[in-house]
Amino acid sequence: MAEHVEVSEPEAAGPEGPAVSAAVMADAHVTHNVVVPTVEQPLAPEVDAEPITQPGAEAPPMGRARRRDRTVAGDRWIARVLRGGAVVSGGMFVVSLGLEALPQSENVHVAIDLLRKGAASMLLVTPVARLAVAGTLLGLKGEWRYTLIAAGVLGLLAIAVSTGIPT
Amino acid sequence: MVAGGLAGSLGAMLGIGGGIVLVPALVLLFGIPVEDAVPASLMCVVANSCAAAAGYVHNHLSDIRLGLTLELSTVLGAIFGGLVAAMVAPAMVAVVFGLFTFYVALQMLLLRAPRQEPATLDDYSPTNYPLGISGSFVAGGLSALLGVGGGPLKVPLMSYGMRVPFKVASATSNLMIGVTGAASVAAYALRGHLKLALVSPLVVGVLGGAYVGSLLMPKVPTPVLKKLFALVLLVVASQMLWKGGAGLWPNMLK
Repeated sequence: MAEHVEVSEPEAAGPEGPAVSAAVMADAHVTHNVVVPTVEQPLAPEVDAEPITQPGAEAPPMGRARRRDRTVAGDRWIARVLRGGAVVSGGMFVVSLGLEALPQSENVHVAIDLLRKGAASMLLVTPVARLAVAGTLLGLKGEWRYTLIAAGVLGLLAIAVSTGIPT
Repeated sequence: MVAGGLAGSLGAMLGIGGGIVLVPALVLLFGIPVEDAVPASLMCVVANSCAAAAGYVHNHLSDIRLGLTLELSTVLGAIFGGLVAAMVAPAMVAVVFGLFTFYVALQMLLLRAPRQEPATLDDYSPTNYPLGISGSFVAGGLSALLGVGGGPLKVPLMSYGMRVPFKVASATSNLMIGVTGAASVAAYALRGHLKLALVSPLVVGVLGGAYVGSLLMPKVPTPVLKKLFALVLLVVASQMLWKGGAGLWPNMLK
């Protein structure tokens, strides 16, 4: 059974009040209106908590479901990269702030400096890694156009940073 | 940290990064010089983008393909803007951008019968790619020329110009701003303008705020988000008109 999840869109509801359904954005032209959360890959709690809006909907064909699962898995990898970068970098910044409360010494200063530089570097690398992961995953799905676009963006950014062009 | 939290939640909900809140707060409330506040604010935009976009991508609220496509033209525009920065008068560009933003904000606030959003958040496919790509090029150029993030321009562009649902536009903008923000911060860091002692508490606050904002955004009704966005646009317009005016009036009075 295809499970649809609701996202608040009151403005969008027509006179008949159509059931607001899945927030499947990333793969809009591949599969519309279908999210098939599996036990192994649950959606985020706030999405899982939303009601089923079309319980009678037909199950998608097998090939389509597989593509859907791959898309969901791909998005999860991108989300993991972003979340991992944010959490690790945020944690390092928090530890560096905590170290400031300790009695100041040369070692503490060095540790704070190293932690902050590491955290800042991690934060700056994260969006770039996300871009690389997104391009690679879309390439693996055969959407080479987006891989080329991601490579183009990375190349242009590298040129801009290395030549000092302010962006 | 509190300022970072506020900026993070607002930026995450609206897809604008939060620099619009942070730079004035840092300069006016904490007396931090603009040349230190801008890189710190850009770092917070990157943090905001990572934290908020993680949730949006996980919930399939960001359109990754659209984001990639518009990112390319944004980066091209930013490089073009950086190259021609010495040849154009930033004050004049700021006034034009301020007037345009003012017009968009008023339209969002006053329009009685706004465009009907798609019935479901997945029931759309972006239209008018030429407009989106050229608009993103302009947004990238303006961000390099004026130091404003592309969010205030890209969200209305996707929402009104490309018929993308407002929340998807906001989430996609959130995803995109991190990349250009990271390049800008890297340029500042290479020149030694990034003050990590200032950045640390801000980023911690922004990460928390962005997490809260990304949880709130799917639950907040779209009309409320649009009104909030319009108010932020009015602030951006005022800042741009002020910035442009400060550059133009002395020349006109001479």
